[in-house]
Amino acid sequence: MTSFYGASARNEATLEVRQILEGLAPGEGDLLEALHRVQHRYGYIPQAAIPGVAQHLRLPESRVYGAVTYYSEFRQTPPPETKISWCSGPACYIKGSENLRLVLEGLLACGMGENTPDNRLGLHLGQCNGTCDNAPQVWVDGEVVGPLTPSKTVELVRRLQAGDQP
Amino acid sequence: MPTYAELEAQAAPAKRRIEARDRPRLAVGIDTSSIAVGALKTLDALRALVASRGLDADVVQTGGNGLSFANPQVEVGRAGGSRILYQHVDAEDVPDFLESVLVRGEQTNRWLLGALGGSPASGVARMDDHAWWSVQERRLMSEMGLIDPESIDDALATGAYAGLERSLVMTQEDVIAEVTGSKLGGRSGGFFPTGRKWDFLRTSPTTPKTMVCNADEGDPGAWVNRMTMEDDPHALIEGMLIGAWAAGAATGYIYVREEYPLAFERVVKAVEQAYERGLLGKDILGHDFSFEMKVVRGAGSYVCGEESGLIASIEDARGMPKIRPPYPAASGVFGQGSNVNNVGSYHCAAWIMRHGVEKYADVGTERNPGTMLFSLSGHVQRAGCFEFAFGVTVGQAYEICGGGAPVGHTFKALQPGGPLLGVLPEFALDLAIEPEAFREKGAVGLGGGGFVFLDDTACVIDLCAQFEWFLEDESCGRCTTCHGGTQRMVEIIRRIQRGGGRESDIGKFRLIADTLKYSNCFHGQFAPSIIVNTMTWFAAELEEHIFSRHCRAGVCKGLTRYEAGRDKATRAEYAEAYARAAETCLTLAMRRAAGDAVEGQEPCLECVVCAELLPQAVHVVDAFEQGDPAPELISIQPAYE
Repeated sequence: MTSFYGASARNEATLEVRQILEGLAPGEGDLLEALHRVQHRYGYIPQAAIPGVAQHLRLPESRVYGAVTYYSEFRQTPPPETKISWCSGPACYIKGSENLRLVLEGLLACGMGENTPDNRLGLHLGQCNGTCDNAPQVWVDGEVVGPLTPSKTVELVRRLQAGDQP
Repeated sequence: MPTYAELEAQAAPAKRRIEARDRPRLAVGIDTSSIAVGALKTLDALRALVASRGLDADVVQTGGNGLSFANPQVEVGRAGGSRILYQHVDAEDVPDFLESVLVRGEQTNRWLLGALGGSPASGVARMDDHAWWSVQERRLMSEMGLIDPESIDDALATGAYAGLERSLVMTQEDVIAEVTGSKLGGRSGGFFPTGRKWDFLRTSPTTPKTMVCNADEGDPGAWVNRMTMEDDPHALIEGMLIGAWAAGAATGYIYVREEYPLAFERVVKAVEQAYERGLLGKDILGHDFSFEMKVVRGAGSYVCGEESGLIASIEDARGMPKIRPPYPAASGVFGQGSNVNNVGSYHCAAWIMRHGVEKYADVGTERNPGTMLFSLSGHVQRAGCFEFAFGVTVGQAYEICGGGAPVGHTFKALQPGGPLLGVLPEFALDLAIEPEAFREKGAVGLGGGGFVFLDDTACVIDLCAQFEWFLEDESCGRCTTCHGGTQRMVEIIRRIQRGGGRESDIGKFRLIADTLKYSNCFHGQFAPSIIVNTMTWFAAELEEHIFSRHCRAGVCKGLTRYEAGRDKATRAEYAEAYARAAETCLTLAMRRAAGDAVEGQEPCLECVVCAELLPQAVHVVDAFEQGDPAPELISIQPAYE
């Protein structure tokens, strides 16, 4: 994970970001692709990467920042080592996913979009991906775990906290 | 550029592999649904074991067939053409499974689902014997589960791009006439005639023109577009090419939502392969037609499924819907005349041009010929994606395919087509699957293919809270009616759920619903649907919540509490269960019930672990006695109320 502080680091960051964006051109609708690449490289969109993206695509920085904050999949803070996404879809919801959310938030003491203080685990608000035969479910680093009950969720979180596999 | 006949010739080995089968072929359906239950592990285990034991068989990947409830599935094809599906073949079952089907050559075993075709041994159940299979009209899905979606040869071997070849020798007008004649309606749920839409773009004076595919299937509970993209992506590309030819477009965008990584991957791969074979690019199939295609990956925004929001999102911007007109045909992506269709519409168009409009109209109803994909989920026994001819009733889909409500429960409501389309009571089961039938009964519409069924354990008010919260969260924020209206709805519903319902709330709901109609786009305009439906069809339940502070399903947290049996007899009887519950539960309440009070415990999370582990001893009771004074509310309500 790279972090950016200070003016010289900022220029370096801009250079590095522009390398990542090679092949993308202004005026062709490449902003989302550019941000996906930045997020793929750093795990999130560092504030210092925004000028580089803006320069490369000849867009105002405000427009890049606007897109970063508009779309829920772009994060502005480093991701956790293990991301638990809670599915917010209706099939999960009517089968009690709200109880799973209470367990997750209660046990990890963090809300949706936040990480535990040591950044080992974090919660993410997931949107339905249509694997509703396993509802209610969570995805641990993208892998579906379900169907869950509150007690199974407690056990899952405890396993993850202990550093075990889901 | 190769001609269609040349491409067909190239695909001949693939065709032989799919049809003839000189040796057994084990095919594992791989898509997001099956990966979720370990199909990749099954595939790896099969490959490893077949190789290590030197068995004479091919192990291949195909797409999924929609039957999520049966995953992971393995299809065993044998010389002579028999194709038999096996269900729930987990990785640990693989040794026994291979022993049965390959070593002993058995066709019937404990994993058997049914024979798809060919000539299976006598006594082997056929898929057609299953009502949930035979009630379907599997046309769009006929290649799903048969071909490897990552192989263009497999697609070509089963007729892909034949519809394009046929269209390219027709005039633009004739192609549009055929699609219009099929009465194909937009599959996003709007059912606007696709042929007419193409004609708008064809006759639009702007050049160049753009074809856009809306693959931002954001409606939770629907995954029909994902099926097409993951299991038969070339059908989508073919449909877009046909539309582009008919409307005179030279560029195209497929906008895939972020939440479908595998669909994105497979569509990108399909586009690359189509370029390699000259199905995209210059002089396609040797005709005077050129088309460039780009796949755009969304980043998590529900309103980007609205066409003007989607266009804005492609154009380097926040995906905020715009006021129409101008419509996309006059000014769309980068100001170019554009046409936006749903994945399903393009898929249908490809099918129509491959097989002809007469064949398409064989099934379905007079006003809605053809078929449509539906994903059934929620409180059903079999969740999955099924294909129905229009005119089949919701009840048939629910009872026959879905298997009805879980044992011991009864149907309560249908939630069709995502959060904007409300919720329907018992009469939903009698409705024919047709947009008109839904609208005639006062429903917002049929939707884009998602059916979420609710049984008596679900609370409609609680679902209202969830959907309004979702719509508030996903509102783009441009109009105050929408972001303010949805926010206000959430506040009121949550207050009702905490026991603070007021008589005036009904009037407030109506006022907000009326105001939301003046929002710019569908998102705000249809945001109050579920509340309006609830006031119409679930009035008794809503009034119970407001006036009696009672939730009949025992779901709303503020209206219920959990009571553990504390008498000695109960405790002794369930001592073991209590111990386990106390181990898992984090809260003081549970520890106390277990006779193990620990000071300084955190307050109850209301996670209901106790009721789950001790269903006999922990009961849901009303939080309020009838006649209790109203509770003191945490004040998030403005003072003017």
